[in-house]
Amino acid sequence: MLRLFAVQGTWNYERMLGVGMGYAAEPLLEDLKAVDPVRHGEAVARSAEFFNCNPNLAGLALGAVTRAEYEDIPGPQIARLRTALCSPLGAMGDELFWAGLVPALMGAALVGVVLGAGWWAIAGFILAYNGIRLWTSYWSLRLGMQSGMRVGSAIGASWLPRAIELIGPVAAFTIGAALPLVAAWFLTAFGWPAGIGAAGVAMAGIALTRWFAPFLTPVRFALAAMIFLVILRRVGV
Amino acid sequence: MIELSPEVVIPLLVWGTLVGLDLVSVPQAMISRPLVAGTVAGWLAGDVHTGVRVGVVFELFALDVLPVGAVRYPDYGPATVASVALGAGSYWQLSLGLSVALGLVLAMLGGWTLQLVRRSNARAIQSRAAALAAGESSAIRRLQYGGLLRDACRGFTLTLLGILLAIVLKENARLDEQTHLALTLVAIGSSLAAAANGAFRSSGRSARFKWLAAGAGAGVLLAVLA
Repeated sequence: MLRLFAVQGTWNYERMLGVGMGYAAEPLLEDLKAVDPVRHGEAVARSAEFFNCNPNLAGLALGAVTRAEYEDIPGPQIARLRTALCSPLGAMGDELFWAGLVPALMGAALVGVVLGAGWWAIAGFILAYNGIRLWTSYWSLRLGMQSGMRVGSAIGASWLPRAIELIGPVAAFTIGAALPLVAAWFLTAFGWPAGIGAAGVAMAGIALTRWFAPFLTPVRFALAAMIFLVILRRVGV
Repeated sequence: MIELSPEVVIPLLVWGTLVGLDLVSVPQAMISRPLVAGTVAGWLAGDVHTGVRVGVVFELFALDVLPVGAVRYPDYGPATVASVALGAGSYWQLSLGLSVALGLVLAMLGGWTLQLVRRSNARAIQSRAAALAAGESSAIRRLQYGGLLRDACRGFTLTLLGILLAIVLKENARLDEQTHLALTLVAIGSSLAAAANGAFRSSGRSARFKWLAAGAGAGVLLAVLA
């Protein structure tokens, strides 16, 4: 299971997570070598082919494919299973982790930092995220191994779809709460005029980066605004 | 102002390398989140408060990023570490703007180096395509360790470059106090815009937007009471 944490170690635009999945599959396929060395070679080759999904749910595909290899399912059928799992595991994992859990916990951590929790807020974020992720990795690998070719229906019947529905509003709430708190935390040190200036920059940033997206990213906007400001100061404005 | 001696720089380099690796390759334990990376970097540099402030600003920028599929995004981890190295030991109101400017340039550079590593990984895989097709486990292992090493080198180089630039800026940046203050306000405003943009995009016009608005209301209330 630990190898799943390095599943993106060889990320590239051709096979994406493919080689990382092969690396994670290696110890799981070891027993196949003694039973059927030819099949083992084919399974190892298949394990490193193109694959992409959210890394935190990769265990579902890894477990299911490994079980299918041991059950002597024909190779093309296993390749189709891998391909079929890419999109749903990518979409569900991204919704659950990148658009849900990470902003939810980070929003809470930011609120904690602003309210004076300091290291505790940061330690809480790290422990909560990694605890949930560790358990999800264990659960996903086990469910994949138990389900094999029927992993699709097993995912549908699991807690995943419900958790995705619940985590989105939590993330929105904590980020919503964090933003005014962080703004006040920074700007009270400067007084009202400076605060209004920073708010003006924020409003301009929101409007311009939406109008001129994708060219004008927030990073480009910030750098452009800073360069503009330094030029204005140099010419004496 | 804290001097960037070897006793400070070496731990920062190690931390920046780990943070660079964590973003994509291993272990994705979220130590690469700017809030975490910045706070620990501040502790290593002897100024936790600046680390937290810099970390929060870059965290707001990072909240705009949704790292899905093959999307390209800035790498804020080593950038945050270098920014903290620049700002440590100074009044945050004066140093934050310039630190964030350095960090944003490094973050963009970091995003570009991620593409380089990914292309380099692809070339390594092509060179071992026959061994992969033959099902050689040793080829997979070598590719994996090679990929991790390339990413570690990327994180190390990025952090080193950032710290060198921080040393140069510490010595040579000649800006008056008003400009420093204004840069800090621009950095704060821009980071809030980035986070708000990310939040609006994620919420859309769904029920999630109502939760965002409710959260903002609670945040305003807490800010008034705190």
